[in-house]
Amino acid sequence: MKILEANKIHKSYGNKFNKQEVLKGIDINVEKGEFVSIMGASGSGKTTLLNVLSSIDKVSGGTIKIEGKEMTAMKERQLAEFRKHHLGFIFQDYNLLDTLTVKENILLPLSISKISKRAANEMFNGVAAELGILDIKDKYPNEISGGQKQRTSAARAFIHEPSIIFADEPTGALDSKSASDLLNKLSEMNQNRKATIVMVTHDTTAASFSGRVIFIKDGQIYTQLNRGEQSRQTFFKDIMKTQGVLGGVPNER
Amino acid sequence: MSVNQLIFRNLKKNLKNYYLYVFALIFSVALYFAFVTLQYDPAMNDTKDTMKGAAAIRAASVLLVAIVSIFLLYANNIFIKRRSKEIGLFQLIGMTKSRIFSILTAENFILYFGSLVIGSFIGFSISRLILMILFKISGVDAIASLHFSSQALIQTVVVFCVIYLLIMLMNYVFIKRQSILSLFRVVSSTEGKVKKMSIFEIIIGIIGVVLIISGYYVSTKLLSGNFTTVTGLFGAMIFILGSVIIGTYLFYKGSVSFIFNLIRKKKDGYLTINQVLSLSSIMFRMKSNALLLTIITTVSALAIGLLSLSYISYYSAEKMAENQVAGDFSFVKPEEAAKFNQVLEANNISFNEKQIDVIQVDANLKEILGNLNGLMVDPKAMTMPVISDKAVKNIDVAEGETIFTGYNDLLQKFMSLKDSGPIGLKGQNETIPLHYLGLKKDSVVSGYFTNGGQPTAIVDETVFELLKKDVNPAIQKESSIFIGITLKDEVNIEKANDLFKEMFGSEDRFNSSRLEISNGQKQIMGLIMFIVGFLGLTFLITSGCILYFKQMGEGEEEKPSYTILRKLGFTQGDLLKGIQAKQIFNFGIPLVVGLLHSYFAVQSGWFLFGTEVWTPMIIVMVIYTGLYSVFGILSVLYYKKVIKEAL
Repeated sequence: MKILEANKIHKSYGNKFNKQEVLKGIDINVEKGEFVSIMGASGSGKTTLLNVLSSIDKVSGGTIKIEGKEMTAMKERQLAEFRKHHLGFIFQDYNLLDTLTVKENILLPLSISKISKRAANEMFNGVAAELGILDIKDKYPNEISGGQKQRTSAARAFIHEPSIIFADEPTGALDSKSASDLLNKLSEMNQNRKATIVMVTHDTTAASFSGRVIFIKDGQIYTQLNRGEQSRQTFFKDIMKTQGVLGGVPNER
Repeated sequence: MSVNQLIFRNLKKNLKNYYLYVFALIFSVALYFAFVTLQYDPAMNDTKDTMKGAAAIRAASVLLVAIVSIFLLYANNIFIKRRSKEIGLFQLIGMTKSRIFSILTAENFILYFGSLVIGSFIGFSISRLILMILFKISGVDAIASLHFSSQALIQTVVVFCVIYLLIMLMNYVFIKRQSILSLFRVVSSTEGKVKKMSIFEIIIGIIGVVLIISGYYVSTKLLSGNFTTVTGLFGAMIFILGSVIIGTYLFYKGSVSFIFNLIRKKKDGYLTINQVLSLSSIMFRMKSNALLLTIITTVSALAIGLLSLSYISYYSAEKMAENQVAGDFSFVKPEEAAKFNQVLEANNISFNEKQIDVIQVDANLKEILGNLNGLMVDPKAMTMPVISDKAVKNIDVAEGETIFTGYNDLLQKFMSLKDSGPIGLKGQNETIPLHYLGLKKDSVVSGYFTNGGQPTAIVDETVFELLKKDVNPAIQKESSIFIGITLKDEVNIEKANDLFKEMFGSEDRFNSSRLEISNGQKQIMGLIMFIVGFLGLTFLITSGCILYFKQMGEGEEEKPSYTILRKLGFTQGDLLKGIQAKQIFNFGIPLVVGLLHSYFAVQSGWFLFGTEVWTPMIIVMVIYTGLYSVFGILSVLYYKKVIKEAL
């Protein structure tokens, strides 16, 4: 079943005299339970793509459907409602509210839906135990480490069981140990909960945890790699090779 | 871009953000200028003579300067901190500190002196209006004319130049002390670290509430007789002030977050969006703003309290005059009354004349006195006026009985009387025992006989005759006949009053005019009310502005949170609802605490000022609340903008 269907999305900034086209007709399909990475050099448009896919930004052209519902036609209010129920977010800079405890931060997405306190508590305990942050639930964000913050952020993304989770450079601000910890947790959650994850990263190791990698260059899809039955190490080497070909700057003669 | 362009760009950007600051600046200049103009206005001489109006207005203008300069310095402090990043950037690109300082100085100069010019102009044009208001409420009959005083202008300019220099000095010190790095960090360092509640804070929170409540409790007991000595009374007042002010501080420091923390604990992590935006944010910010909020609360309590009290006196002026005069005019010398009657007749003013024989008798009230609160009199022999029941319409007392009349609230506080009981009236030789039946409110004889506010005993004609034959000459007044003149038609009262003034001067010990007393009272209280009112208004506007600026800063600081929440799928409406709840607390808590403080202050002593408490107090409080909420609404609008821009 297709969770995400994006057709010919265009995105440009600026006015008509000075137009900067960032996305030039991208098609992406994501199946339920997939763990997809989007890779590309700086300025290739990967974060813009994620923002557009996750409805934070509006497209200039093309259509995006999540669970068969067309988001590009929705109004601001409907979009907010949609994000609330169907989308989860993990950001590079955690995006936790400093004034709330870990538990309060995680329960935030549930506060709008009419879920009983007990059910909410159960959901919280499940997610927090899985991510190993149960014992810091009453701490404030400035009292915990970066890795713990990112796991809190992940727990917040998972708790309301959204159709799809968008992660924007989730390991960008973490040291390598916390990063691999988090990625292991994410792929476990992906397996156990059948959660669909779309992750933007420029870190090859991070990408090797996913099942499929989409490479973007200059606003277009350059190529895709499927992990299939390969081990993570081999997949990692494949990604490295592709990245080498992808290069940064075209050779000048 | 040249430096000049930079200055203008900055100015344009800042004007949009700080329109309220400019408004407050213009307002304070205008008000100050108007006040000073008033001080030099020749028309004020009318008021000056009678009540030292100029001195009062001068004192008020000094206070006004104090309020305004504190406000301006504080506001400037907020703004320069917010601009620290910009200053850091200038330094980073190689501008010297003195260059930056000169840019800031120029910018402020334009802003400040622009407002000064506009403010003086407005102040000049409203000074006539203000004078008219003053004349209206103090009942002075003079024509307010537009009068320009260069002296006033110079004084205004000098005062505000000094404030400007102070502000520049502050900016200079600020820039001098900062390094590039620390300038970039200012914003983040002012955000209080979010910490757990400690036991210590819980204790502070509880102590705060306890202190306020005990202060309130003592204030209700203050004038009800528990403190009989002057030192005791003074000590109690100091205690009330101290405990309420310290309690308020601790309340903001600890109690608010303590109470909110309890609520949060109960929720067990499951917070709604409203609670996220209001509870959690206020919890941490109240603490860091404790001192500011305490000052704002205390001064607004003071302003509301004083305004209420002066309004109470003003409001009660007529009532008090009525008690004092017992009729429209009162005389104690028949020949003077006769003269006045002739004049009234000559002017075709019809009236009723009433003559009452009044004698002074020592009364033994020991049995019916509830408590004698610190009055230095002997309850066994209190001198009080006695009249016959024949002199009073509708009252007929039996031979062995008596009724007291002319009771007021103030008296009741010091000398509470039981509902009934035996008393004794002492003549020269013998004492007549009587049964006391109760109190009535109307005063029948003038203040000359009642020593300002004592009740008058009404006895049966036969008893009165007995007492009259046996009076103690040592305690009798010069006159023992009261002549009250009541006009048949109220319309003539002003004319009659003018005639009265012509004949007897404004007032003396023996003859009094109700209108004259009431006018005199209104004049004094009107001026006080006028001054307190305008000072209160200035304070209200400046403190409202400061709270608004604080909220502006908070809004900017919390913008990332709004971004997160909006990404998570909360609509602008959801966030705005939460913000509204937050602002109700942010502005509401200081307001409610201030209102409570002033309520207890007024309740403890209003009876010294007048006869009616509720209507004037409620009017003052409603007006204050209304004006205050304007700032709350403005801040919500500002937040709306921030939220809209957040995604």
